Amino acid sequence: MDFSWKPEHLAFRDELRAFIKVWRTPELLAEYKATYGGGGERIHRFHEAISEKGWMRMCWPREVGGEGRSMLFHFIFVEEMEYWGMPYGNLTFTSVAPTLAAFGSEAQKAEYLPGIYRGELTFALGYSEPNAGTDLAALRTRAVRDGDDWVINGQKIWTSLADVSTHLWLAVRTDPDAPKHAGISIVIVKTDSPGIRIRPLHTMYGGHTNETFYDDVRVPVENTVGEVNAGWPIIMHALNHERVALAATGSLAKLYDDLVDHLRAALPERLADPVVRRQLALLKLRLREHRGLAVRNAWLIAKGETPISEASMAKISATELRTDLANTAMDLLGRAGGLSAGSPGPAPFEGRAEFNYRLSPIFRFGGGTNEVQRDIIASAGLGLPR
Amino acid sequence: MQPELTDTQTLLLETVSKFLANEVPLERVRALEASGEMDTQTWDALREQGWLALPFGEALGGGGGSWVDAGCLLEAVSRRAVPLPLLEAWVAGRALEAAGDPDGLVPGLLAGRALPVPALFEAKQRFDETTLVVSDGRLDGTKAFVDYGDCASHHLVSAREPGGPALFLVEVTGATVRCEPLQSIGRTPLVAAHYRGAPARRIGGEAELTALRLSGQALAAVQCVAAMQEALDQTLAYARVREQFGRPIGSFQAVRHHAANMAIEIARARWLVYEALASIDSGGAQVETIALAKASASLAVPKVTMLAHQIYGGNGVIEENDLYFHTLRGKEASLAWGTADECLDLVANEIDQKVDWL
Repeated sequence: MDFSWKPEHLAFRDELRAFIKVWRTPELLAEYKATYGGGGERIHRFHEAISEKGWMRMCWPREVGGEGRSMLFHFIFVEEMEYWGMPYGNLTFTSVAPTLAAFGSEAQKAEYLPGIYRGELTFALGYSEPNAGTDLAALRTRAVRDGDDWVINGQKIWTSLADVSTHLWLAVRTDPDAPKHAGISIVIVKTDSPGIRIRPLHTMYGGHTNETFYDDVRVPVENTVGEVNAGWPIIMHALNHERVALAATGSLAKLYDDLVDHLRAALPERLADPVVRRQLALLKLRLREHRGLAVRNAWLIAKGETPISEASMAKISATELRTDLANTAMDLLGRAGGLSAGSPGPAPFEGRAEFNYRLSPIFRFGGGTNEVQRDIIASAGLGLPR
Repeated sequence: MQPELTDTQTLLLETVSKFLANEVPLERVRALEASGEMDTQTWDALREQGWLALPFGEALGGGGGSWVDAGCLLEAVSRRAVPLPLLEAWVAGRALEAAGDPDGLVPGLLAGRALPVPALFEAKQRFDETTLVVSDGRLDGTKAFVDYGDCASHHLVSAREPGGPALFLVEVTGATVRCEPLQSIGRTPLVAAHYRGAPARRIGGEAELTALRLSGQALAAVQCVAAMQEALDQTLAYARVREQFGRPIGSFQAVRHHAANMAIEIARARWLVYEALASIDSGGAQVETIALAKASASLAVPKVTMLAHQIYGGNGVIEENDLYFHTLRGKEASLAWGTADECLDLVANEIDQKVDWL
């Protein structure tokens, strides 16, 4: 057994840190915050710089323009980007791109992948509907064939970033008579297609997600990813990748580090309190425990396996830890812990404890609720009957 | 980065597990619990198979194995709930080996003539503190919790000398060492050892004492993991066949979520525990790394075993069935070699330090 990182991993981490140090300007972070990950000019240039380094596709197979490097490099990349709060391409990069690489046609890979790794193409995910949430396979948005086109009618919800993305990765029902998992397809739709209406839904963590309406939207049938009616396994594949990203520890570790740094600098007497130190020790333990699950998951993927139970464990662990971390951090900071970013006071470390507290619920049900994850562990990992 | 057992380690684990399943009837384990003895028959078998020799150097007749290898073997033995001083003999033997084994106790151990065990823990002290004093080569006082202390030929005692804490070898003889058996939750041999002018020979200083403590703590965490894993596996087997309301109880979502939570707790602890063992093997063991592993395992034990009982119901608490072994052994191991609180205190001591998360 060997738990140590190899020199090439550590060298890559150092290279990333040096790169991020140059790019992590207040202007870039402000743009990230203002666009909620959607991107602007600075973020676009940052993506181009990442692409020039080859980091977006370094772990992709050589056939699709990658370097075929171990997924451990991807893990380190995501960890560092998350730690420093950098807009590195989120679900387009972590979920859509690898799924397209696995299931897309040669023409689709050629059409979309280069644009994704240049940061020019961004995708919003259209899975959930008002009556198809956790029971995603109940989705009813219809695509009816008309010549060489699909004609799409229906409604999606939680279509985050749809208003700033170039494309939608849309799950649609293409055979209403088939069993519910067997009549679904994935279709790529340009967000500026006629018939699409986007309505923002404002959230308690700031920014907004969207509901999107589809009224006779025409899309070429060749935009179908994989076979028609074979979309379900593609969605599962994409969600599995999404969970890997959701399990990242970077931003959690940063929250912990910021908390300890703040206590050391601003509240040394509180940091000397044994009760406070014990609370911090417990948080550190939880982070170390979670990190083990996340590394194990990444390592299994690097080995060429498709971890299912392990991915669910890491997802549960990361998302519940975010709530605990934010909550404990706020408690240790007292009333100041409730101050929001920009408030006089000033808000400790830019109000990130308070922000993460508001943010944390979505991760616990997004990407598959943690209850569903526990069911997945029980079936796939522990062999319990359904 | 290769965080999985090697083929050799997996084979070892399977071989030992199969051997124990065939050779150690659980009725014998129950009888030994009642009589408060170690399983000498299985001990001799482990010696003859060469498994006891695993972590010792080849110069002393050992197998040259790592602490990770030893952890695998200990996990297999612990999962069978056999009362054996494997952890104790290994960490004491390795300390003696590091000191040049002046009395030839390691070959003695491997030949069945000797059994050195650590005697570190006192009634009112933290697990890593000692108040006993050795003066003029004589030891007086009490070690309140000595696992397998009455089965042993020698105690490796932590005590103070003018230069600070150190490690001393004491032969267990009737005249100067009295072992008082205790009744404890784990139902394995445990004594209070009273020393009265016992001849004590210094075999190491504070660094050697710390090294002994780190390996003991990491192996006690392995015992926690073993108890949890066995409790989970037994519970899953039960939940698949036990039917209520016309369905296996393992198909009910509440039960499935309990089981998933057990598996998550074990996965968290297992990683940190084997990582801790590997860190000792690579020479980079930090007090905090081992303490985090033991804290993780110790905190998880009651959660996992109590969920096992929740699923298992009445059948889990009767002694005709086997779940109780692991509830009890697991809790004993969670208390031994540093409780979760003591381990978290060690982490809290260093909380100002910058963390390298990768």
